[in-house]
Amino acid sequence: MLIKERTDGSASWLSLEGRFDFHSHRDFRTAYEVVLPKAEIREIVLDFRQVDYLDSSALGMLLLLREKAEAVGKKVKLANLSGSVKQVMEIANFGKLFTIQ
Amino acid sequence: MRLKILVADDALTNVKLLEMAAHKLGHEVVIAHDGIEAVEKYQATEPDLIFIDIMMPRLDGIEAVRQIRSLPSQRWVPIIFHSALDSTEDIVHGLEAGGDDYLVKPASIQLIQAKIRSYSRVLSIQSEVRGYMQELSSWREEAEVQNKLGQHVVSRLLDTKGLSDPMVQWMNIPAETFSGDLVCAARGPGDVLYVMLADAAGHGLVSALTALPLTQVFYGMAAKGFPISTIAEELNRKLKSFLPIERFVAACLAAVDTRNQTIEIWNGGIPDALYLEDDGTVSMRWPSRHPPLGIMPPDLFSNATETVNYLHPGELVLFSDGIIEAENTDGQQLSLHGLEAILGSAPKRQRLDALEQAVIRHIAGQQEHDDLSSIVIQVPIERRQEIRLTHSPAGLTETQVSEWRLDLSWGASELREMDVVPAVLSFMNQIRVLKSHQGQLFLILSELFNNALDHGVLGLDSGLKNMEGGFERYLDERQLKLDSLTDGRINMSFHLHQPDERPALDIRMEDSGKGFDHSALDSLLNEDLEQQQAHGRGILLVRSLCAELNYFGRGNAVSARYLM
Repeated sequence: MLIKERTDGSASWLSLEGRFDFHSHRDFRTAYEVVLPKAEIREIVLDFRQVDYLDSSALGMLLLLREKAEAVGKKVKLANLSGSVKQVMEIANFGKLFTIQ
Repeated sequence: MRLKILVADDALTNVKLLEMAAHKLGHEVVIAHDGIEAVEKYQATEPDLIFIDIMMPRLDGIEAVRQIRSLPSQRWVPIIFHSALDSTEDIVHGLEAGGDDYLVKPASIQLIQAKIRSYSRVLSIQSEVRGYMQELSSWREEAEVQNKLGQHVVSRLLDTKGLSDPMVQWMNIPAETFSGDLVCAARGPGDVLYVMLADAAGHGLVSALTALPLTQVFYGMAAKGFPISTIAEELNRKLKSFLPIERFVAACLAAVDTRNQTIEIWNGGIPDALYLEDDGTVSMRWPSRHPPLGIMPPDLFSNATETVNYLHPGELVLFSDGIIEAENTDGQQLSLHGLEAILGSAPKRQRLDALEQAVIRHIAGQQEHDDLSSIVIQVPIERRQEIRLTHSPAGLTETQVSEWRLDLSWGASELREMDVVPAVLSFMNQIRVLKSHQGQLFLILSELFNNALDHGVLGLDSGLKNMEGGFERYLDERQLKLDSLTDGRINMSFHLHQPDERPALDIRMEDSGKGFDHSALDSLLNEDLEQQQAHGRGILLVRSLCAELNYFGRGNAVSARYLM
C-alpha cells in the first residue's frame, strides 16, 4: 500500500492507496509513527479515496492507531469512504468509533 | 570466504599456475589429472568451484562435466573450462555441456585470480540465500507440526453437538487449515433455539484461537436460558479483557422461539441476517447495529437486540462477509445482491446447498479467499409445539426428597438489571431432583415471571400484541417502561416437598401491580387451543404442565404446583 502524508494546519492527512489488508501492516505503521510524535498535529485524517479494498486486519490496524493517537491526545478521522470500503465500515459500525467526514 | 577449488588438468604447469593463483587468494586446491579422477574428486571432496581442461586422458573435460552435472546436487558449483581450444564452436560446446565460463589457455594469473574473486562473490551470495532457505524450511516444518497439533486441539474444543439440530443447516469452509469463522447452535431450557455465527478478524490459527473462547460462554449461557442480550454482553466483556486492541470478533446471535413465534437478533459486524419466505422473497432483514465484539469497553457496550414476531414459516439465514466478498478470477464479488438471488431461486431446505455450490463455483481458481460460513434455520409455525415437551419418567421419584423453602424478593433495580429467571433456574439446577425438569421449570417460571413483570409491575396491555405491528410496539414500550422503572416488586416463593409419592414444587409469585379480573382466565382456559391468541398460549402451557394453577387476590398473585 502506498501512503502519502501532507499537513494541513493542525491536521495530518494520510492518503492511502491500493489494497489495505494484512500485508499493509508495516507500511501503515511506518506512516503513522512519523505523525504521532508531532506536537503540532491535533488530528490524523485517513483519506480512503484511493483504497479499493479493506479487510478485517485493516480494521484492527485502525483500532490500534486510534488507541495510540488517543494516548497522545490526537483524534483519528476517516475521510472519503465509498464503495466496498464504505460498506465494510458500515457493517463494522466504525461510525460509532471514529469521526467520519 | 575460503573456497575449495577442484583443478583438473593433465599438464603439470597448468595445475601449478592455478594452484598458485588460488593459494595466493587463500583458497584450498584439490587436484585431478584426468576426467575420471575429476568426477571422483568432485564426489569425494564437494568443491565450491571447478577449473577443468578439455583434452585429458581416459575421459575428456566435456564428458566429465556432463557426468558431474547429471549428479544430484543441492547447490550450484560453477565450472570454468580452461582449454587451449579457442574456436567459438569449442567454447559453445563447453558451455552447453554444463560449463559456466571459458578461459582460453594460456590465461594470465591476474585473469585467473579475477575470475576466482568474481565467482567467490557469487558463491557467498548463494550460501547466504541457502542459509535463509534452510531457516525458512525449518520454520515451515515447525509451523506444520504446530498446525496439526492446533487442529487436533481446536476440533476437540469445538462443540458441534447443537448443530445437528433438525432446524439447523450450516457450512464452514476455512481459508486455511483453521477457520476464524465459528458456527454454534444450542437449545435453551425453554426449547428456544440459540444460534451464533462469529467471524474473528484475520484468518488461520490466530483467529481460530480468538473465536474459540466464545463457544464455552455461548453454550453455557444458552443452556441456562439467558437472553442473547446478556450473552452478547458477556462475550464482549470476555473478549475485551483478553484480546489485544487490534483483535475483535464480529458476531450475530439469534434466538428463535417457535412457541412465541419470535426471532430476536443481536448483530455486531456481520452482514444482514435475512428471513426468507417459502417463495424465496426476503421479508425481513437485520443489519449490523453494533461494532464487533471485543472492541467496546463494557460500560459503553450496547446489548440492544431486535425482535420480530414472524407470521409465516420461512428460513433465517446468517452468513459471514467472506461469502459476499468472495471474488472470482475477474475480481468481481459475489455481493449481497448475488447471494439473495441464489438463495431466493433455490427451493426451501436446499438454499444452503445452493449457496455453498455457488460460492465454490464463484471462487474457482482463486488462491486466496476468506473463511466462508453460513447457518440456515428452518423456522416453522407449530401451533402445538408444546406437545413435544414430555413429563420426565416417574422412575426418578423413588427417593424421598428433603423439604426446603426459598423466598425471593426482587425490587425495581434488580428487575431492571438482572436476568431473574436464569438466575433462579441456575440455583434450581443444583437440586438433583429438579435438574431433569429444568426445561419445564424454565417455561413455567419464565411465563409466570414475565406475566408478573409485564402486566403486573409494568402495567402493559397484552392486547397490544394482536394489532398490526403490535408486537414490536409492545416490546419497545416494555423496554421503555423497564428502563425507567423506579418502584415495583415481585416476590416469589418455592416450596419443595413430598405430599404423597410424587415430590411437588409449589411456586408462588406475587407482583405489586394492579392485578386483573382472573375470572376472564377461566373462559380462556376453555377455548380450543387452535383459537387462542398469541398472548394466551403461554399461560395455557403453564396450566398444562402444572397439576394446579390458581390466581387469587386481586389477580396479582398466582400459585402453581408442579409434580415430579
